[in-house]
Order: sequence, then structure tokens, then C-alpha cells
Amino acid sequence: MIQELMVVLGIVLFPGLLFFSILGLFFEWIDRRFYAKLQNRMGPLYTGPWGLLQPLADFVKLMAKEDIVPEGADKPIFSSVPIFALALALFATLFLPVCGPRGLISFEGDVIVLAVVLTILVILVFLGGFSSASRYSEVGAERSLLQLLGYEIPLVASMLGAMAVTVPIGGSLSISSIVEAQRSWWSILGVQALGFAIFLLAAQAELERVPFDIPEAETEIVAGWTTEYSGKKLALLRLARDVELAFLCGLGATLFLGGPQPGPLIPGLGGVVVSTTLFVVKSIAVLMLLTVIRAAMSRLRIDQMVNFAWKWLVPLSILQLLLAVMAPLATA
Amino acid sequence: MSSVVDIPVGPQHPALKEPLNITCYVDGEQVVGARLRIGYNHRGIEKAGEYQTFIQNLYIAERICGICGIVHAFDLAQATEHIIGKEIPRRADYLRTIGLELNRIHSHLLWLGVAAHEIGFDTLFMYVWRDREMVMDAIEEFTGNRVTYALVTIGGVRRDLPQEKAERMLKVMDVLEEKAKKYKEMCLNERTIRMRCDGVGVLRKEDAIALCAVGPTARASGVPFDVRADDPHAAYDEIPFKVVTYDTCDVTARILVRIDEILEAINIVKEAIKKMPSGPIRVKLPRVVPAGEGVGRTEAPRGEVIHYVRSSGAERPFRWKVRAPSLANLLSIPVMLTSKGDYAVYIADVPIVFASIDPCMSCTDRAVKFVDVSSGRSWIWTFSQIKRMYWRERP
Repeated sequence: MIQELMVVLGIVLFPGLLFFSILGLFFEWIDRRFYAKLQNRMGPLYTGPWGLLQPLADFVKLMAKEDIVPEGADKPIFSSVPIFALALALFATLFLPVCGPRGLISFEGDVIVLAVVLTILVILVFLGGFSSASRYSEVGAERSLLQLLGYEIPLVASMLGAMAVTVPIGGSLSISSIVEAQRSWWSILGVQALGFAIFLLAAQAELERVPFDIPEAETEIVAGWTTEYSGKKLALLRLARDVELAFLCGLGATLFLGGPQPGPLIPGLGGVVVSTTLFVVKSIAVLMLLTVIRAAMSRLRIDQMVNFAWKWLVPLSILQLLLAVMAPLATA
Repeated sequence: MSSVVDIPVGPQHPALKEPLNITCYVDGEQVVGARLRIGYNHRGIEKAGEYQTFIQNLYIAERICGICGIVHAFDLAQATEHIIGKEIPRRADYLRTIGLELNRIHSHLLWLGVAAHEIGFDTLFMYVWRDREMVMDAIEEFTGNRVTYALVTIGGVRRDLPQEKAERMLKVMDVLEEKAKKYKEMCLNERTIRMRCDGVGVLRKEDAIALCAVGPTARASGVPFDVRADDPHAAYDEIPFKVVTYDTCDVTARILVRIDEILEAINIVKEAIKKMPSGPIRVKLPRVVPAGEGVGRTEAPRGEVIHYVRSSGAERPFRWKVRAPSLANLLSIPVMLTSKGDYAVYIADVPIVFASIDPCMSCTDRAVKFVDVSSGRSWIWTFSQIKRMYWRERP
């Protein structure tokens, strides 16, 4: 009975849905604040201490706003996309090992499930844009799919390449085993550095941030696929984007920076606290790298992005996959 | 197979700072044609000028453009002085030149920020606009205002530039010179900027000449056309400067022309402060302007501005006509936005190509033509007709 209650509490409160919703809003604040510092601005400042509550205030404000559905829109799809997007993003976070060596859901092959979830999120973007019956949304939706063609293979390859560090302990495709394998040696310190760089770029594209914010390029197609969304739906979409940001940063930290390691070695409640702290700190490190990329470049064109992905990212990701698989064999 | 969709950009669009409409005909991601529609920002400023005295008109003229206000006031004053036929003090010429060049620095920095924003490089945008504050402060110290300056008057200028202020301005210019050089290096070396701007928005030299492009747009296409050099006015005849031209004809060339012009303008300001003679800053000219016609022209940051004034010998002008440079440059937009042969334009290029001429719609819109979109019928109403309509509809 207590066991089951703990599982439910784990999913709803910590480290599940509520924790990651708050973490997502917190990450948005860090992103905005750090981005502003890089640009010599102040960033959010007034809502709450150091403007910490600004993302939450934005969320609440959007929830209260008028919700408009375009007349020509495919209403069931248009309305369900934000809900599915948020649900999927939150579902993905349950796999992350926040406060221990394994996530709430953990089984052999869960990395593959995460790769599938990341792709479905983009399919949702496409559905949302295409059901809006707006020219800007349609162009944005088209671009999001084109972009997916560019970065999906590198993303999955870098995730699978990271899995190669589990070869010495028997080889596995589960998140818990990769955390176990990085107990003494983070995988970013070896041949995986290349994989980490590819993962960062692909994550930036997945999150639609500069230089890959092509599907929602503000100055070109208004807000891209989100143009027609407003009110509650936009609030949910933005929260989903924040949770996805936290998830991808957490995934990067887990695959390449050891996730909560060496926290799980400490027994009892202390281990949980140390693990969670380490996980969040490492995720923030990944987030800051993503923010620096966002501040240092201008937006690419869709043809340039796909060109770049197929000329450089895909070959490099295959190369790093080969290297990652060979390296443990060579040392063994 | 090909299916052309029209995508409207404007009159309300995040890429536009002022209303106009570009209808892009798009095949996939490629733009195969573009149509321009202007006239959303008609303010009736020329008509208003006929009800005010010449002196009052200077302040209206300054409000034609919020960025290069000195240019319009200068042009109108020049046209009026042309009718009166009196020389103004030499020191006033120098002070006007300083004002014009400060305006140019301000305008080009502002444009560089906007251009960076259009290609999604917000960091450069923020940096440039931070540094723009320095020249804004210098202008404020010189004229007393940040935006509408009220510097130029008929017969001279209203404020002098004392020695200590001039020295402070020189210091600001030194800092700005460093910054401008840094931005030039940044624009030349940052890969993503070059990817977005090289070979984009090409306006070939012969097209630029045929379409009467002016200002940096023409100079970036290799046309060395600059009113300051071709028809020296104010103190430009005594100050040496270079007419900057580039011949790659694309957006990169327009960026580089403008940054180089910032550097030139800084040199002109320095030189003008050094060479400025002492003496009075204005002469009293009669309020009633004799009958006749006058023309004022100068090189605004965006290109040549022409003011034409006709006086019937009264306190008020009989007719006042303003030609802003954006009107001349707008014609080249459809050419830049049409894919032809190897030259491909993508939807993503539309904002930066359009922004590359530095359009200023509120300066440009002079006339209103009414168009019934459904039938394509168009007509022009006179002011009295509009007035009659207005009165008829009221109970």
C-alpha cells in the first residue's frame, strides 16, 4: 500500500510532473536571464525575487486570456495538440534519473522510447501548424518537418553513441545502466565529447531556438506554427516547450555528464538530496551552453540548415557512433 | 505541378516597423514574385504646410522622419533661403553639417540593429542599440533634444557648439569609431551573418541606375552617387570625405556601406569641429518670403532628399513638396525579391532584403489612392471630396 502511494506521489509530485513543471519554468527564467546578461540587458527582474516568478506570471496571464480558434481550423486537432504536447513532454521526464540511479519508469530499451517521443513531439508541431488554416502556420509546419529530417538522425545517433559506455558493464540500452556506467568516469571526458556537441546542436533544433528557430522565425512568418494559438492553448504550448527544454537539458546531463552521479552512492535521504542537486546543476550547465549558442548566432535559412545537417551533422554523428562503439572494445 | 501561393507581408507584420504591404508569390519556399502596396501612413503633411508660416513649417518638416529630422528641416531651410537668395554665416553651415552627420551615425547604427534582428541575431541588435545611445546623448547635448531637434532655422542654426561641448563630442566620436570598427569586423567574420547576407537581395548596377536607386542602396550596387559630393552644400565643399561604394550588390554590401559611412561621418564631424570658423550662427531673414521657387537637396542617411517650395510672396508657402529617399528605393524591392535563373529568393530572405534599403514609410507616403480590392478599381479623391463625404455621412 505504502509502496503504491509512494509511486503515485513520485509521479505527481517529485520527481514527476509537478517538479518538472516548476523546473521547466525555472529553466525558462535562467535561459531568459542569462540570455539577457549576454546581451547586456537586465532580463526579467520585477516579478518575485530577481524576477524568478516571471515565467509563472506569463503562464497565469496567458491562461486568463481570450482563447481564439480560427474559423477554418480543424478544431479537434487544433485544440488537442497543446494538451498532447504537454503530456508527452511530461511523460518523457519520468524516464530521467533525478533523485537516484534510475527514473520513475525504467526498462531495457527506454532510450529508444525517448527518441520516439522526441519525434512525436515534432509531429504534433506539424499537426498543430497544419490544422491552424493559416498561411504562416503552414509554412512553419512544413519547415518543422524539413528540419526534423535534418537533425533527427544525429540526435538519435548521439544518444545511441552515448549508450556505448555501457559496453564494459555488459552493454545495455537503458538509462539506469548508463548512469551506472558513469559512476567514476563521465562519458563526456572521452570520445563522447563529439557526441555531446552533436547532441547540443540537435537539441537546439528540436527546441526551435536560434540558429534553428526556423519553424517559428518571428520576423519571417510571424510566429510560425504557433501563430494562431492564443490564451490557454498558447500557455500550455509554452509550458510544454519549457518542460521539453528541462527534459533535453536533463537528458544531456544524464547521457554525457553522469546525471545524478556520484549522488546515488550516498545512502538514505542525503543521497536523494545530493543526487537531485547534482542533476539540476548539471542540467543547468547544459542549459547555459544552449543559451550561449542562442546568443552567438543568427538564424539560418531552412535550406542552409538541412544542408549543414546532411553535410556535417549526419556524417559526424555516424563517425562518433563508430568511435564510441570501437573505443570500449579497444580498451577492453 | 507548381502551385503558387501568395503570402502577405504586412501591413501588420513583425518584420515591419511601419505599415506597407508586400505580397509575395511563393512556390514552396521560393519567392517567384512580389508586389508592393504603399500608402498606409499618409499624414497630409504637405497640405498642413500650406497653412503654416515658413518658420513653423521647419518644425513640421522635422517630424517627417523621427530618425533623420535635421535632414528635412535643413532641406526646407535650404529651399527657403534659396528663394530669399541670401547667404548664411559660414559657422552655421558647419554646425548644420555636424548635425546632419550625427543624424547619419544615429540612423545607420539603428539600421544595423534592425538588420541584425531581421536575421535573428538579437545579440548584435542589443549591442548596437546600446551604443546608439552614445550618439543620441551627443545629439541631445548639441541640440537639446534626442528626437525632434529644432536645430536648423531659416538663416542659420539656433544653438551654438561651445568649445567644451565640442571636446566632449570628439571623445564620444573616438569611442564610436572603435565600436564601429568592431562591428565591421563582426559582420565580416561571423559565419551565420555571411550565410544569410551574401548573395541575397542582389540589385545589379544597371538595375540600380534604371530604377533610380539612391543612397546606400545605390552605393552598395557600385553607383557612386552622393549628393554631398555631387552638389556640395553646407560645409561639404571644404571637408574631404570618401564616397563609399561596394560592388557585390547584395545585403552584405549594404551592411558594409553603412558601417563605412559611419566611420566617414565620424571623420567629417571631427574635421568640421576642427575647421569651424568663429562668427555669428544666424542672420535675420525676412518672415515674408518673396515670390519664387526654391529647391533644397541633401544626402539623408537613406539617400537623396529633395524639398521643393513655391512662395507666392506671402507668409505661407503656396506649395511644398517632399521626396523622401525610400520612395526611390522601394522600386528596387520587387526586383530584389524575384527569383530569376540561378538567383533564388527564399521566404526567409524577404525581411532582410526589404529592410536592406532601410525603408521609412512615414517619410515616404505622400498620396492616397483608393483601391477596391475585390474589383481592382482605383480612384483618387480630392480633399474637398473627402470633406463632402465626411459631412454627408454625419446626421
